[in-house]
Amino acid sequence: MFLALREFKHAKVRYLLISLIMILIAWLVLFVSGLANGLSSDNASSIKTMKPEYLVLQKEADQRINRSALDDDLAADIREFTQRHDTESALLSIYMATLTKPGTSKKLDAAYFGIEVPGLLQPEITEGKMFTNESVDEIVVDQSIKNEGFSLGDRIIDETSGKKLKIIGFTKNQSFSHSPVIHMNMKTLLSVKNENTIHAIALKGDKNTAKQVEKNFSGIETVSKSQALKGIPGYQEEQGSLLMMIVFLFVIAAFVLAVFFYVITIQKINQFGVLKAIGAKTGYLAKNIIFQVMFLSSVSLLISIALTFTASFVLPDHFPFDLSPFLIVICSLLFLTVALLGSFLSLFKVAKVDAIDAIGRAV
Amino acid sequence: MMEHKLILDKVSKTFVDGEKRVSVIEDMTLKVNEGEFVAVVGPSGSGKSTFLSLAGALLAPTSGRTFVGGHELSQLSESGLNRIRLEKLGFVFQSSNLIPYLTVIDQLILVSELSGKEREDAKSKAKKMIKRLGLSHRINHYPEQLSGGERQRVAIARAWMNDPELILADEPTASLDSERGKEVVQMLADEVKLRGKAAVMVTHDQRMLDLCDRILYMEDGRFVKEKNQMNEAH
Repeated sequence: MFLALREFKHAKVRYLLISLIMILIAWLVLFVSGLANGLSSDNASSIKTMKPEYLVLQKEADQRINRSALDDDLAADIREFTQRHDTESALLSIYMATLTKPGTSKKLDAAYFGIEVPGLLQPEITEGKMFTNESVDEIVVDQSIKNEGFSLGDRIIDETSGKKLKIIGFTKNQSFSHSPVIHMNMKTLLSVKNENTIHAIALKGDKNTAKQVEKNFSGIETVSKSQALKGIPGYQEEQGSLLMMIVFLFVIAAFVLAVFFYVITIQKINQFGVLKAIGAKTGYLAKNIIFQVMFLSSVSLLISIALTFTASFVLPDHFPFDLSPFLIVICSLLFLTVALLGSFLSLFKVAKVDAIDAIGRAV
Repeated sequence: MMEHKLILDKVSKTFVDGEKRVSVIEDMTLKVNEGEFVAVVGPSGSGKSTFLSLAGALLAPTSGRTFVGGHELSQLSESGLNRIRLEKLGFVFQSSNLIPYLTVIDQLILVSELSGKEREDAKSKAKKMIKRLGLSHRINHYPEQLSGGERQRVAIARAWMNDPELILADEPTASLDSERGKEVVQMLADEVKLRGKAAVMVTHDQRMLDLCDRILYMEDGRFVKEKNQMNEAH
């Protein structure tokens, strides 16, 4: 990499500028990726992180949990069937609700999750305790509700029924449709909503069992967790627009690099001719260009990763930003691939340079 | 025994220009001996550059055979020609054509780098060469900091770096004044004698001719006149 490094050293400003652009683009890529991931968790972490891999929904529900309604008898039959096949299952009812704090008029939105205890869908308690199947008007809520001024033992009023519910525990990362999730048993749910339709049955099993259930019962459909996520109102639109931004950023990164190196290569065509005339092979020159592209991209990436982490520390806690090392690795690999693609145009140009161009030229 | 560093044996080169076939080099035969410094002169369009490209393994002849340092070029593959250019030939171009982002010493080391030689050996060799050409004070300078004459001297040093059999110079004095030009050509001539190699210089600079052993006059793709001044020059 004799030529590549010396060229960097000689034309510092030029390469510093392109690095700066790459840093900004990579930073934005990582930030938007983290934001997409964060929003996805914020939107529906209750579904995203639940243990069961499959959900049984009503066939006409269009794979959307909130539209699904399973008949009680059908639900009982399905559960019996799964028990016979050694597959754990759990009933789930979901209602959106508006709540108020006693003594105030401030409203807040939440999602009620009606579950069985003990059961597959039982959330992890970070503070307080879990209710039982028999307890009345006791709930566990996502800890984000603490920000609204609630603590253990507080009551919370359901707007529609006017019933008071007692907070006996807190959970972590439980959200649905951008709202905190309030878990309660079916009995409590029935008392506040006057109904408790089973919206879904969660299955802890492989694809095979999911298929079997679907085959044995009519009017239902088993969907995977990721399909169910897409069925949450707004989820796909939100993730889709962010994904589009990320894709565009990658395309922009590829083009910026491609154009930059292409222009520089054209500027150096005569130099490449001289180098070839004195015996440099195309492969040697190509290696130097690839090294330059990869070096600039890697350094830019490292800096932008550092910047992204710095930014995530500065951001407020409730900001939906979540960047896992896995996501960083994926983004980085993609970024490097795209950079490599961007250099192909220049490599092609260099391959076409003829050593004879060096003869009989005054410049 | 006298060894021929360059042999052109009935070499022709024709280009297709539209419907016509243009003959640029016709039936050219030339032998350049060890220790010989040959000048090729002629008007523009006489085929000097094409001649140099043929001798420099940059262009394949339409017919005839070319030998450089005993290797017949038509027998070699693309990478074989590359190796010939790297190891047997040294080029000095019209306006030095140094790589702008390399210092004087790196210009020379690059040549060794290309042929995969040891970096340290190259360094000491390059230093010696730079010293001999009187550029020691310029060793870490970039081409833009050098004068035209100095650049051309670096180009000559670069051409000698891999110890080639033959130096091909394309108007090396084109951008120099008479005094600097003479210096540069003298240096080229001295190195040829010192190393027992050979050089062919294409030029239309009449002032440089008395430094050459043999002058070939070229017109319309042929040598029309030859003047031997082996004894006069040295």
